[in-house]
Amino acid sequence: MRPIQTLTALALLSFSLASAQSTIKIGAVTSLSGRFATFGAMQQAGFKVAIDELNAKGGVNGQKLELLLEDDASDTNKALNAAEKLVNAKVPVVIGAYSSGVTKPLSQYMARVKVPLLVATAIDETITKPGNPYTFRVNNQSSVYTRSLINELKKIGGMKTAVVLTSNDAFGKSVLTDAGKLLPAAGFTVLSKDTYDKGLTDFRPLLNRYKGQNPDVVIFASYEEDAVALAKQVKETGLAPRVIAGIATGFALPDFLKGAGSTAENFLVTMVWNADVKYPGAGSLYTRLKTALGGEEPSQHAAQSYAAVLAAADAIKRGGTDPEKVRAALESTKLNTAFGPVTFRDYAGYQNQNSVVGLITQVQGGKFVTIGPASAATGKVILPKK
Amino acid sequence: MDGVAVTAFFQTLVQGLLTGGLYALIGTGLSLIFGVMKIINFAHGDFLAIGMFITLALFKAFNLDPYLSLLVAAPLGFGLGYVIQRFVLARLGDRLGEGSLLATLGLGLIISNTLLLGFGAQPQSINVPYAINTFKFGGVQVSVSLLIAGIGTVLAISALNLVLYRTELGRAIRATAQNPLGAELQGVKTANIQAIVFGLGVSFAAIAGVLLMPLLYTFPTVGENYVTKAFIVTVLGGLGNLPGAVVGGLVLGVIESMGAFYISNNYRDAYGLIVFLLVLLLRPEGLFGKTVKRV
Repeated sequence: MRPIQTLTALALLSFSLASAQSTIKIGAVTSLSGRFATFGAMQQAGFKVAIDELNAKGGVNGQKLELLLEDDASDTNKALNAAEKLVNAKVPVVIGAYSSGVTKPLSQYMARVKVPLLVATAIDETITKPGNPYTFRVNNQSSVYTRSLINELKKIGGMKTAVVLTSNDAFGKSVLTDAGKLLPAAGFTVLSKDTYDKGLTDFRPLLNRYKGQNPDVVIFASYEEDAVALAKQVKETGLAPRVIAGIATGFALPDFLKGAGSTAENFLVTMVWNADVKYPGAGSLYTRLKTALGGEEPSQHAAQSYAAVLAAADAIKRGGTDPEKVRAALESTKLNTAFGPVTFRDYAGYQNQNSVVGLITQVQGGKFVTIGPASAATGKVILPKK
Repeated sequence: MDGVAVTAFFQTLVQGLLTGGLYALIGTGLSLIFGVMKIINFAHGDFLAIGMFITLALFKAFNLDPYLSLLVAAPLGFGLGYVIQRFVLARLGDRLGEGSLLATLGLGLIISNTLLLGFGAQPQSINVPYAINTFKFGGVQVSVSLLIAGIGTVLAISALNLVLYRTELGRAIRATAQNPLGAELQGVKTANIQAIVFGLGVSFAAIAGVLLMPLLYTFPTVGENYVTKAFIVTVLGGLGNLPGAVVGGLVLGVIESMGAFYISNNYRDAYGLIVFLLVLLLRPEGLFGKTVKRV
């Protein structure tokens, strides 16, 4: 071998060794397969965009970031196994998971092994209330979604009665409880409160009953496939309230618009991030997420996951790679991101809970248009005449 | 009852019947296979998923109207069933034994995982504008696609009955069901007949999948949602009894809808199961009497 080649080979070798040693690993658990796979794909895109952005700027403290991503297959036990694997790999922080049902036990496990968990998306109240010192949440809790919706309904005015239908899981029940308290407090009469089990595809009998009750407002909380089935069957049964609203999750997905088509028109959907939000850099984030998704429309779940990686990197930058120090650093996080502000505070019984403005969007012409609150609105609400 | 309540009752009844029709269609294929071959086909739900994914794929690739997919899904399902019986199940040679049970379970796993590889795990639906149209019939709102599914069910089951009772093939199928050895001695090629029957059964599952697609969404393990219903329907009507499967389907659909409407949605699956248990308790042979007369 000629010396020049040897030198090059040595240089390459030492370079790759150096880069292998100098990456900072961040753990992430999400649902890349199973029934939450669409959300998992969104989260993955958010992670990727954030890691690329940070590494393009030179990484953290001179070291590149590397994401160790584990699939929980939408299953709690697999999520716990995945987390164990990540903890054994000595990651300073884990981001995840997608659904509330998976994230709640995950947060308890992470507290036990004393590694901080950054919750990007799951919105069940009990994840941060009472919470634990090792769990931090970037997304708002479910009551914020429900409260901002009900505030908007009050502002629109002229509506008195409501029915609520949610999925029968951690997320759905959380919304059902919130709505059950917040609606009467806002002067609404709740005519019906129901939950449905996973796998139910025929909502017609329920929707028929609601039709008979003639409510002003119908509030749904469902994962994606159910959201599409609900929208189609609302049309089928001829249920026509003044407002139909979906609390984030399935309704906040671009796939909901695609699947439900014209039946989704005029649905109000609560979310914390939309393509038309006014945070600095949001437009660029939207474009980058869209590219990461291979041209698919990004949802708020992608943006939340992006912000979670930024928060993790920021905490590592200030605290180093010891889980306990990262945890302490997370407590004093103060970031302004293209997703919105990220600070973890203790308030009203919540622990380490971020607070982002809840947006009310409406499906108009097959797109989510933000119609509330007034400070963020880019469009006006459209209601059927009654 | 006032006018609104009467309308609501009929609305629930009509939707229950139409939903039940789909259960019947799925149950018929299962019942037919059991009636002739005494095989419980655990892959039935996955064959339904194949029907749904064929519709989805054709819609995505060629923007083909979902109902036209029947022309592809029905024969393809038949061919698939024929080949599976001929080259997999027939070789196991046993009836109601572990062989066919494990083979169909395994086939189901292969199918759902192949679909997972090909299409991904996320739920997908198609969107044809007319599928969400409705019309009013005496105050009762009827969904066009649900009605098409109902009509499709009636046509498919009638066609099957014509084949079974008006053709030479049907005679051979019934003979094979009653006494395979006797039929073989009379010159019926029972191996071929059994493959045809399995093909028909799979074809029915695929047809049900196509008819469901405009109404719902699909994902690789979607069959699970329906296969339990198909089993209940089949046992309700009497194993291997085709008219029984139809009535069983309708009964299940109506009971579920009525229960969800008048009592509570939370126990929806329980209503069907309660009736199922009652039937097992009082008429173990199913709603339709004689255990001997099958197909």
